[in-house]
Amino acid sequence: MPLDSHRIHEIPDDLLAAIDYCYEQGWTDGLPVIPPVLERVHAMLAFEGRPPEAVIATHPATTLQLTVHAAAVNAVMAGCLPEYFPVLVAAFEAMDKPEFNFHGSTASTGGSAPLLIVSGPVCDDIGMNADVNLFGPGNRANATIGRAVRLVLRNVFQMIPGISDKSTQGNPGKYSFCIAERARGNPWPLLCETQDYPPGVSSVTVFAGGGFCNVENHGGNTPEQILGSVADAMANYGCITLGQSVVILSPEHMAIVAGAGWSREDAQSFLFTQAKRSVEGMRSVGKYRDSEYDRQHGDDADAMVQDGYVHRGLSPRDILITMGGGDAGGHSCFIPSWSRGRGSIMQHKPIGVCIDCG
Amino acid sequence: MRLYDPTSSGPERSLSRAPALTALEGKTIGILENNKLNAMEMLREVAALFETRHNCTVRSVWHKSNASAPAPAGMLAQAIGEVDFLITGLGD
Repeated sequence: MPLDSHRIHEIPDDLLAAIDYCYEQGWTDGLPVIPPVLERVHAMLAFEGRPPEAVIATHPATTLQLTVHAAAVNAVMAGCLPEYFPVLVAAFEAMDKPEFNFHGSTASTGGSAPLLIVSGPVCDDIGMNADVNLFGPGNRANATIGRAVRLVLRNVFQMIPGISDKSTQGNPGKYSFCIAERARGNPWPLLCETQDYPPGVSSVTVFAGGGFCNVENHGGNTPEQILGSVADAMANYGCITLGQSVVILSPEHMAIVAGAGWSREDAQSFLFTQAKRSVEGMRSVGKYRDSEYDRQHGDDADAMVQDGYVHRGLSPRDILITMGGGDAGGHSCFIPSWSRGRGSIMQHKPIGVCIDCG
Repeated sequence: MRLYDPTSSGPERSLSRAPALTALEGKTIGILENNKLNAMEMLREVAALFETRHNCTVRSVWHKSNASAPAPAGMLAQAIGEVDFLITGLGD
């Protein structure tokens, strides 16, 4: 007997009516979905080695569970092809780590969306976009994997806008927020290569992102000028917190930074030291808190922390930097964290493989 | 056409409310604050109303380290053993 056979909906054999039926059931993100017919769900399941009833993630407050089967149903609805499914599964395995806190980041007024950064050979294998229009639109894999995350949060974990998702303003990434790391021409090690996975293993990194900030600089031609612009965006009064950061450098900007011999670690250190605000300035906008300052400047403070200043994050390692986007244009981006502190820490998982699973 | 239901297929949950206190007079209070700005001030104000009107006493205060995560099970178990009722709420 197939899993959840008692939860099969028998409806007239009319595709457009089926799409409307999905709306009527409250199963959509506001856009039409692919009706999850049995055959498509079974095809999706064929790309996961575990049984359909295997649990991928559990909601810490409600104990609602995401099974492989439920993930497949929602992946079909989002428009995923079966070969995308391992990315979605890995993403929720990463989000299930307590440190990510997917309940808090989804329920919060902060309006975050889980940003997925897919790294490694799987990106080309399934046709993901790491190039022009990185954040969309235009690519089925990027768009539908990200959308499937939202549908799972809504349908499986019941994070319903206005009810259990109380985001004040939301953000466009809550429809879909999924990119591929650009490998072509990337002078730095790929993320999956820095995450201690065996060679050839791809990964997905999840980050509770609070929006998107374009960093334009067409005049700078040194690492300090380019990254100085990024640091300024990271330290704006609206964004600066003790939270983590994601920075996606455009190929033009990366050519300037890495072309001068800077490593990823060099860039992280520069950004951490520059992305800061004075205590006086933080007080002037009402955002200064003794407890946060003490945490950043305590006994285990990073050596780069400067007295009298509030930096973004706790250390250079809190800043994920990689490359993405089209060849032309001096447009990088900074993705602020939803978390104002350490309420959500980015996580990663390998895709389609089981490492140290016991 | 046959469609799978995309909603949760997890185990049935058995959640229930704690039984209401039969009286408030002289009860002990616990405060569970979420570490956000103004949370402690707001909860202290609420507790003061119980102290004034019902002769209650604040016995314990617990602090969540992560405002948006559920309170640790051990913390709640301790509260159950120490106080008659718990005051909590969002501060920001």
